Amino acid sequence: MDRRDALAKMFSAKGVRVDTNRGEAYYKRLRETMERRLSELRNAPAATKMDIHKVLEAEGLSRRDFMKWASAITAMLMLPAPFTPLVAEAAELMNRVPVIWIELQDCAGNSEAILRSDAPTIDELILETIDLEFNETLMAAAGHQAESHLDEAMETFKGKYLCVVEGSVPVGAGKEWCTIGAKGETFEEHLQRVAGSAAAVVAVGTCATFGGVPAAAPNPTGAVGVQDIVKGKPIINIPACPANPANITGTILHFVLTGQIPELDHLNRPKFAFGYRIHDNCERRAHFDAGEFVEEWGDEGAQNNWCLYKMGCKGPMTFNNCSIVRYNSGTNWPIGAGHGCIGCSEPQFWDKYAQERPMADTEFKAPTGGVEKSVDQFGLGLLTAAGIGIAVHAAISATAGKKDEE
Amino acid sequence: MRKRVELIEKIEGEAEVSYTYEGDRTVDAQIRFLSGRGIESILTGRPPLDALAITPRVCGICGHAHLIATVRALEACYPELRISPKAEAVRELTLTLELLQNHFKWLYLTIWPLLFPRESVTMKAVEPSRIAAEAIALLAGQYPHNSYAIPGGIVGEITPLERLGVADRLERLWEIFRREIADVQMQAFLRCDRIEELQRKEGDFPRILREILDRGWERLGCSHDRFIAFGSNGLFVSGKSLATRITHSLDLRHLREEPVEGSLALHVLYRGKVYETGPLARAMLRKTPLIREAHRRWGDSLPTRIMARVCEIPHLLQYAMQLTRDLDMDAPAWIDPGPLPAQAQGTGIVEAARGSLIHTVEVREGKIAEYRIVTPTQWNLGSGPADRPGVAQKALIGLHRDDQAELIFKSFDVCSVCTTH
Repeated sequence: MDRRDALAKMFSAKGVRVDTNRGEAYYKRLRETMERRLSELRNAPAATKMDIHKVLEAEGLSRRDFMKWASAITAMLMLPAPFTPLVAEAAELMNRVPVIWIELQDCAGNSEAILRSDAPTIDELILETIDLEFNETLMAAAGHQAESHLDEAMETFKGKYLCVVEGSVPVGAGKEWCTIGAKGETFEEHLQRVAGSAAAVVAVGTCATFGGVPAAAPNPTGAVGVQDIVKGKPIINIPACPANPANITGTILHFVLTGQIPELDHLNRPKFAFGYRIHDNCERRAHFDAGEFVEEWGDEGAQNNWCLYKMGCKGPMTFNNCSIVRYNSGTNWPIGAGHGCIGCSEPQFWDKYAQERPMADTEFKAPTGGVEKSVDQFGLGLLTAAGIGIAVHAAISATAGKKDEE
Repeated sequence: MRKRVELIEKIEGEAEVSYTYEGDRTVDAQIRFLSGRGIESILTGRPPLDALAITPRVCGICGHAHLIATVRALEACYPELRISPKAEAVRELTLTLELLQNHFKWLYLTIWPLLFPRESVTMKAVEPSRIAAEAIALLAGQYPHNSYAIPGGIVGEITPLERLGVADRLERLWEIFRREIADVQMQAFLRCDRIEELQRKEGDFPRILREILDRGWERLGCSHDRFIAFGSNGLFVSGKSLATRITHSLDLRHLREEPVEGSLALHVLYRGKVYETGPLARAMLRKTPLIREAHRRWGDSLPTRIMARVCEIPHLLQYAMQLTRDLDMDAPAWIDPGPLPAQAQGTGIVEAARGSLIHTVEVREGKIAEYRIVTPTQWNLGSGPADRPGVAQKALIGLHRDDQAELIFKSFDVCSVCTTH
């Protein structure tokens, strides 16, 4: 297969295609599922006493602010606008779905990211209304008290809670070194126990999904991701280092709405977030197409926000929605500050992508084929591929448009 | 002799403290950290610049300090290297913002719940830390975990819009300090040396202080009264201090790390002695009037330690505001330092939220041959044998109550992920 075909295949593979319009019959069924689920939740006892509207009121946020947030989330979850009231109601019922958050071999960066997640409304949603039954960083109880609190929560909400995991699982020699809790469980035992009674497991951050930086060569602790350990449970991967809080909230909300996990790609990542390629929505994309590149830091290109591909940006190989939702309440993202993407939501980014060198200068194969001879050649190859990518996109939106008219 | 093992959670990661009692009095406390990732061995063998993407991920709450320490260590590998005042100022600014957000969060998520367990104040921690993180994101892309600093400067251009955004957020942080922590005038506060004056003010910090005094805990948590700070910048000075006797010359060759049985954290010593690092050490070396007064009154105890960290906030804010105001927008962001020497050694020092962070890199044949990270919590929470206790250990000895022990332990602010890295 020549490169052109390989690229075309990669960018048009079913696994990465995002279907934003599935036709009326599909949405009708979906709406029924959601309405059923929400009415069940409405009748279920609340896991916490927290009422979202009281929380919002206390923070001086109006119903209008709340609905604005809900419509943004509706769009992010790729649902048509008429679903907004359902999303809003799901947010109100979030305290019916318990979440148990455990930290394994991590840096607490994802908890950190969520602490300052999106607009103030979502902070409240996350912190007060979603029942964070057990988060090592945020919980009120500590030590032995927290331990029994965890046991109790697992028993009460058996088979109903979402188990959110942050951090990788060390299984290599010396794994008995990494222990947790009063019983001195290894991380693997702890994960098995908490995930065992969960409805679904959400692996948050690249450590929990693929092993992350702890798994970087020579992987001293034998770190692996949650999906390598937990079997027989639905697993949702939300990689990136740190994972974007918007994607965590979106996933949890989707679970509240449907009782099911969102549509996933071949790496178990929700498509609503990871169906996008950084490169396709990058604010500097036009410069790539025009062949305008930053050639060295501080040059004319850097001053004018040109494409960072030659400075080692891995945007073309990375699937995530950073270029759309950005970070820190949408304030900025790495490319906005003039640093290339390091592919932090891709498997093995820690060995393949996390450096300043363009792919052509590394010993690793780009997913698009062999090791390139020079940056310029590779850039050229991608340029053609990008053209194909756009064509595929255009084709999808054309059919989508038709369905709309029917 | 009675023994008790306490798990310390609600910190980044987990720590274990084994107390030994005689009667109801603590005679020994051994601190253990039970998980690690081996970051230093991951770095070995990689091209030196790759460390820029790996080290920030040591820690989710002070990763920025790790990035700057790495950049400085790499820059020290060059025989000669110049960076522009703008790049230096922007790095200082993002670093200062990280300290600020840590200070706010520590006060409300770690200290407050131990003194006032029935009052939930999560939002008081979230709001300022979100604002500080946004300001970092404006300059560095995102927070946590960015890699915008590189040998020779920073990658991107700062526009007046970003500068305005940062200035605005610094103002908002100061407003939050006045509204929540202590209702004071900044200039008056920076000069203030009268504890009574502060104690009478409105705000959460005077309330914390009054609570500790009411409980009669003001002399608890005294340690070795030896302080050290390796980093210096426009605000901090390096040196060590035995009580108030200050020496400014430090030599990193006297730094030694030793393993602790049953723990993944290394104990660190300077000339064979343990030292306290962090806001209290910095305040002692800078001779901050209010903290010197607290130290004169209560020694290196619990309220002095808490006060030193809280009172660093206005100093940091003023420093950050000045950096933002004086930013030379026309200076280059990056000055080409040329290729990194294939054989070299360099050390990078940063004052992080919890104290001095030291990175040392050795480059051979163009690859990292050895990378060493010494974190602040290794100083403060290092565990020595009962006859040579570390800083927090010494502070815990002699206590009679469990609630006192937890508060004193956490006043050092544990970051277990950094300690073992």
